[in-house]
Amino acid sequence: MRKLLRRETALLLVLIGLFAVFSFSVDGFFNWINILDRARYWVVPGMIAVAMTFIIATAGIDLSVGSILALSGIALGLLFRDGQWPIALAIGGAIFTGTAAGAFNGFAIGFLRIPPLVVTLATMALFRGIAMGLSQGKQFGGYPDGFEWISQGDLLTLRGPASVSIPTPILALVIVVLAGSLLLRRTWIGRFTELLGENPVAARFAAIDVRWLTFGLYTACGAVCGVAALFHTALYASAKADTAMGMELEAIACVVVGGTRISGGKGSVLGTLLGLLIIGILRYGLEMAGVKSVYVVILVGILLVTTAVFNEWAAARESQ
Amino acid sequence: MGDRLLRLAEIHKSFGGAPALRGATLDIRSGEIHGLVGENGAGKSTLINIATGVLRPDAGTLMLDGQPLSLTNPRHATAAGISVVHQEAELFPQLSVAENILLSQGLVRGRLGQIDWPATYEKAATAIARMGESCDVRAPAADLSVARRMMCEIAAAVSRETRVLFLDEPTASLTSQEIDHLFARVRELRAAGVGIVYVSHRLDEVLELCDRVTVMRDGATIDTRPASDFTIPDLVSAMIGRESLNLFSRDPKHAPADAPVRLQLEKLTDASGVFQDISLEVRAGEILGVYGFVGAGRSELAQALFGLRSLSSGSVSVDGSPAAPRSPREALRMGIAYLPEDRLVQGIFRNHSVRSNASVALLPRISSWSWISSARETRLANDIVRDMRVRARSIEQPIGTLSGGNQQKIVFGRWQSTNPKVLILDEPTRGVDVGAKAEIYGLIDGLAVRGAAILMISSELPEIMSMSDRVVTLSEGRVTGVFNPKIDSHHVIASAAVPKATGIAKPTSRASTWLGSIARARESGLIAITLLLCLLMAALRPAEFANPRNLLEVLSNAALPAMMAQGAMLVICAGGIDISIGAIMGLVAACAGMAAVSGAPPIVCVTLAAALGCACSSLNAGIALLARIHPIIVTLAGISIYRGVMQLVTGGREVVNLPAAYRALGDGNLLGVPKLCWYVLVITLVTHFLLRYTLVGRHILAIGNSETAARLIGLSKARITWFAFAYAGVIIGIVAVLHTAYYGKVQSNTGDSMELKAIAAAVIGGTNILGGRGSALGTLLGAFLVALLYNALTLLAISAYWQNAFVGALILGAVLADALVQRSRRLH
Repeated sequence: MRKLLRRETALLLVLIGLFAVFSFSVDGFFNWINILDRARYWVVPGMIAVAMTFIIATAGIDLSVGSILALSGIALGLLFRDGQWPIALAIGGAIFTGTAAGAFNGFAIGFLRIPPLVVTLATMALFRGIAMGLSQGKQFGGYPDGFEWISQGDLLTLRGPASVSIPTPILALVIVVLAGSLLLRRTWIGRFTELLGENPVAARFAAIDVRWLTFGLYTACGAVCGVAALFHTALYASAKADTAMGMELEAIACVVVGGTRISGGKGSVLGTLLGLLIIGILRYGLEMAGVKSVYVVILVGILLVTTAVFNEWAAARESQ
Repeated sequence: MGDRLLRLAEIHKSFGGAPALRGATLDIRSGEIHGLVGENGAGKSTLINIATGVLRPDAGTLMLDGQPLSLTNPRHATAAGISVVHQEAELFPQLSVAENILLSQGLVRGRLGQIDWPATYEKAATAIARMGESCDVRAPAADLSVARRMMCEIAAAVSRETRVLFLDEPTASLTSQEIDHLFARVRELRAAGVGIVYVSHRLDEVLELCDRVTVMRDGATIDTRPASDFTIPDLVSAMIGRESLNLFSRDPKHAPADAPVRLQLEKLTDASGVFQDISLEVRAGEILGVYGFVGAGRSELAQALFGLRSLSSGSVSVDGSPAAPRSPREALRMGIAYLPEDRLVQGIFRNHSVRSNASVALLPRISSWSWISSARETRLANDIVRDMRVRARSIEQPIGTLSGGNQQKIVFGRWQSTNPKVLILDEPTRGVDVGAKAEIYGLIDGLAVRGAAILMISSELPEIMSMSDRVVTLSEGRVTGVFNPKIDSHHVIASAAVPKATGIAKPTSRASTWLGSIARARESGLIAITLLLCLLMAALRPAEFANPRNLLEVLSNAALPAMMAQGAMLVICAGGIDISIGAIMGLVAACAGMAAVSGAPPIVCVTLAAALGCACSSLNAGIALLARIHPIIVTLAGISIYRGVMQLVTGGREVVNLPAAYRALGDGNLLGVPKLCWYVLVITLVTHFLLRYTLVGRHILAIGNSETAARLIGLSKARITWFAFAYAGVIIGIVAVLHTAYYGKVQSNTGDSMELKAIAAAVIGGTNILGGRGSALGTLLGAFLVALLYNALTLLAISAYWQNAFVGALILGAVLADALVQRSRRLH
């Protein structure tokens, strides 16, 4: 526990350091209005990263998150536009789609005991393909303003010397992070998740129902992707099948930078949030400094590998 | 008896501070059969591992023919003529019997250095025939019965000019005829001058077969004498020692004979036949000792009672009501708890706190709506630490930092806190120091006093004698006696547990399932499906499908993924995966294309491309191997890195205007067939040759089959895995050049989703996604089938948007089918 906190403190210092460096060296970086507006784009990867934290804590992986998100978005669009469902029902349908897709993964991994890597690699193609097929390449737009408000709107505006608005989706992210953090730290579901990742054999011998737990976690991950699809669709005001490509990389990078080891056993939702903020600020800062976005893409990849290596190295040193 | 052959002198070895060998000395002469006996944990296996180069001693010397011998690798031992046949035969299950026999010493090679399969099969068959056996040496080793595997291992050892042969419990699962057979072979080997070390719990066998016997106890060799000087009782007392048998004296009045029966087993039989017809009962407050050697089925019985194994017949009842738990959760609800045998693997969560380890069994019960009550958990953990007298600084300390005894007390407390009616203890004091042992005995007694029924499994007879009210002995899955430790001597009990050389009932041979036969007929099945699809299309769309132009187009479309798939297949065979191959291909294509545009001759471009592909792929392998992280993470990050670099190289522009000489590499026809098809042919044949006819190819499959078995024969995982990635990298380079030459340009999305097509082709073609099995021809068929399917979908006017879904479903279907087949194999 104390070690995790130490890690999170270090991440917080890194974040503050990044902030300071960019503020001094990049003109126009330090602007709360812009940064908060930018934060709208962090909400979707953030939600998925929280779910991914649980998956990686069990020593699993879910590569299909981006595809589930796209499929749920298409479900929303189809039900609302072509099916003429009321928006509330369409939202329910989208979340159900994500949950069902996650349950499919969970069944193959938990009950048929096929490695998560293989299952989700295949469903990454399958779910994306279904989304493509259902949408026939069309985009689905034209949602009510109230729906788009969940991603584009502001919750409240603070009037001061300069008025600052808090974007609505940040509230959703805060709720997901809080819920995820409490679930992992304060419930037996979270505890069992970490124990399963630490030693799957001992977990079975300790009367943990490994099959249902695994099934439940992948199902929940799908459900979160379904919810994230709503925010994603609302943000871009349209749903399409080839959206959120590379979301799995984004989410896994947040989790790994946040200090959760790929080999499982311990997870930190707070760490994942800090990982999200670090990657987000890094991107934003470099962009403001005029660095080409392709460098940022490469940087995120390198960051993922180096922190994954570092996490293993630190854990090996600790256990000596 | 001949000269002194191998001598191990004063060998010491510790594992993490716990001594396993304390000055063991073993002397083997040529032409003798030397028995090695001792209780479980006496150090026999460690000694064998040191003699065969798997482990290195902390101190002590090995001498062969009077010369000092230093073994750093199992291969050295094999080269020196020292072989071992393990109890649980370490096999490469998906490789042929012949290969299992010959891989460690080298397969038969032809004039070009290629593997000569007919000669290899013949050599293996000869080796088996020399053992008086016969079996299909081409069949996968997984299809053999245990006895056959054992014979094969011995045949393997004999075929490599072995001078010293260790046999570790060879008869544990043989029938009596098979045992007679084995003994005859072993005696022939002795006559040929081989020194044989025979390790067994079956003391009558040892005395019958061996010339001399060495007894081990607590990591030391106690006594070596001619077998004729020993009787079975002598051996038993030497093995168990003469230390005080009263470790702990229980108050006898807590074992009332009229107490109600808490646990009753009737004719319990395991689904896989490990134990049969077990009937016993345990009363409230009674401790029933279960004594037996390895392979007696003790732990399996315990695990079945705890819902971890399935039963085929018989009944269990707790307090008179039927209780046959299907999961540990159910067992817990029925009041059954189980303290497992292997604390590190089955018992503790090493990096987690004392608190989590102590509370895990009761956690749902002290939670409301899944919310853990922190106060109640702290109280529970503190109570356990106090009651069990655990020495720990705090309950937040990781359990891995405690001593073995304290760890064990916490796991004991975990189960005691569930207030079990029946508690099964499996080797409760293994790896525990003497002081903690006495404390654990006190705890067990305390639980019995409070009315629990206790089943205590142990291979330490003194512990069984002093703790139990009654003792049952198990041998080879059956109850062989019930004793009263106050009256019956430990000799009587130990003798009842010693397995008799009568052999076991032979389980019926594996039934072949229809799923299994489909799996075996993978390639012919693929051809059938392909033909069927062709016929179907020819019937549905005769004009469009069955014309030469369309068929050539299918071939061209299949070509690039088919080549990529050969590399991906090799990587998967080695147990790895690379999902960045599409991104690497894009990067290499851009570089090669730009080199060509700037005037480099085609041959330079191809070399550059192959080198670059190889470098990127090697980088992936290097990071994954050095940092020991799964290649999926490295290659996932690799996708964005290589794509990013590609964009930097091209500046986001398309590469066009490729010179004609360069384009001629991949575009156009040769002998009326697209050039690409010729390349496919060459790469498939090269890969086929590599995988089938070279040692490195076989080593790739061996690593993917079993890392443990590969280590035992001294293969280097890093070098072999790296080779597979590097080979795949070269192919990526070639495909990148052909792609640009064929299409005449490089776009920013060149290579997109190529990894998916390649992996799909490999998996559909019969590659085991977990490694160890793959075929170049199958992969080619897989790629062709995928292309054919695309073509069919297009001709049937099914929208292109659905095509990815079909590929995904195909991969999933292939993987699911494979998983189900593997499962049905495991069950049989």
